[in-house]
Amino acid sequence: MYQPMLFLHWKQIRFALLPFIFAAYGLPLLAVQGLGSSPGMEGPALEAYRVVSTYQVWLPFFPLLAAAIGVTLALSAWNWDHQLGHVYALSLPISRWRYAAVKMGAGAVLALLPASAFWIGAHVAVASISLPVGLHAYPDQLAIRFFAAILVSYALLSAMAAGTVKTTLWVLAGGVVFVIFGSFLSQFVFPYFGILRHTDVVQWVFHALVSAPGPFQVFTGNWTLIDV
Amino acid sequence: MNSAIEMTDVAWRAGGSFEVKDLSLRVPTGSIYGFLGPNGSGKTTTIRMSMGMLKPDRGTIRVLGRDVPRDMPKVLARVGYVPERPHVYPALTVREQVRFHASFFRLWDAGWADELSERLGLDPERRISRMSKGETGKLLMLLALSQRPDLLVLDEPTDGLDPVVRRDVLTALLDYVSETNATVFISSHLVHELERICDWVGVMDDGRLVVELPMQAFKNGIKRIKVADAPAVPEEPPFTILSRERLNGAGSETWIVRGWQDPMRHYFDGAGIGLRDVVDLDLEEGFVELLRSSRPTPPYRS
Repeated sequence: MYQPMLFLHWKQIRFALLPFIFAAYGLPLLAVQGLGSSPGMEGPALEAYRVVSTYQVWLPFFPLLAAAIGVTLALSAWNWDHQLGHVYALSLPISRWRYAAVKMGAGAVLALLPASAFWIGAHVAVASISLPVGLHAYPDQLAIRFFAAILVSYALLSAMAAGTVKTTLWVLAGGVVFVIFGSFLSQFVFPYFGILRHTDVVQWVFHALVSAPGPFQVFTGNWTLIDV
Repeated sequence: MNSAIEMTDVAWRAGGSFEVKDLSLRVPTGSIYGFLGPNGSGKTTTIRMSMGMLKPDRGTIRVLGRDVPRDMPKVLARVGYVPERPHVYPALTVREQVRFHASFFRLWDAGWADELSERLGLDPERRISRMSKGETGKLLMLLALSQRPDLLVLDEPTDGLDPVVRRDVLTALLDYVSETNATVFISSHLVHELERICDWVGVMDDGRLVVELPMQAFKNGIKRIKVADAPAVPEEPPFTILSRERLNGAGSETWIVRGWQDPMRHYFDGAGIGLRDVVDLDLEEGFVELLRSSRPTPPYRS
């Protein structure tokens, strides 16, 4: 059943995925545009600084593109099921979690397409410039991070889409309640009892999620194609 | 008697607006069970509960001898389901949808699926998003039948189809049933259609099962009778009076009764009521009268 699911997902997303494949290929090339093919006259240190700072302008676009691809993959995979209240999936002789796993597996394979395009684009970009002394290129690591970021956003959206609207609303409501309750604890309860005075619970949880080994660290971590 | 579907004291509530109350329903194995009821009466909700898509708040459901929703994947492997709204993927062609569906069913009969596709006039290369309602209806029936189910659960499978397509779809269904003796649980607004094919009937109204009995008993038991000299309150009749309507003559009335049998004519002699005529009602008339009588303010009930 995996193969038909992969085929279904491909047919549902192929037109939407194509621009993303081009974007994933083109973004590393755009990021190194203007860096020139030969070192400047300012000396190696200044040249390295110029290269890194020029490239850094493009940094936010890498995780954003990866997240957009993951979201698109998830929405295309679940959109039709969602519109019809998941009736088809629920009428198949397969447990709900297995159906979701097969569907997510198919999406993960399709995520390889933009990730591969990104990997090729990164290698072409690196080959098109001469790096100043002291700088190195990391196209493989960046492509892996790009793929991982797609998977994280895809998995998150898929997990929400695979459930019912009610479940999704419960999860979102739980998040809102946590933020309100956590802020209340940090602002009033902890200071009153003289415990954890300098701990903001919400900020602490957010920090745990976006920094290693949190699941969203892949978005906030080091997106360097060129670095020392 | 074995039951393909057995619901006992099932209750389910959707917010404050609608509820299914104390629903006990038996679909005998090998029967074609027609499930009737007006829009919003709870037919689709009941069907979805039997398919494990909705979990009842109370009561037990057994389908093909297994607990629902606990044993759902095993149950669904033996159930062909046609939902109220087509659920196939518009991005696929007929051939691709069939291949996708087949991959989930161990007993899938590819040869028969091809034969059915040809018989129903389905173009395997036609994209589902471009198919008419009739073609989609045929495809859904093909998917349900080709998995060789022991039970077919059909939620208004012919709704909105033209008479030719409807006949094709029902013929395919009846051919399958006559060959395999599968059980069919079918809901429809088209009362005449069910009258032709069903041997059991259940009527839902406002979340309750109003009646459940063999089709023949339903059709024979509901009559329109004309009486003369009818008293205000008849003396304990052996049948149920569903409705009474006064006619022009003094004491002349038309009664719609349920549970009628011919020997009951003697009751009228003893009660001093003149029996003028007994008329058979068809299923649709019986259905309408039954609903009218089962609603909160019936004209009169014995």
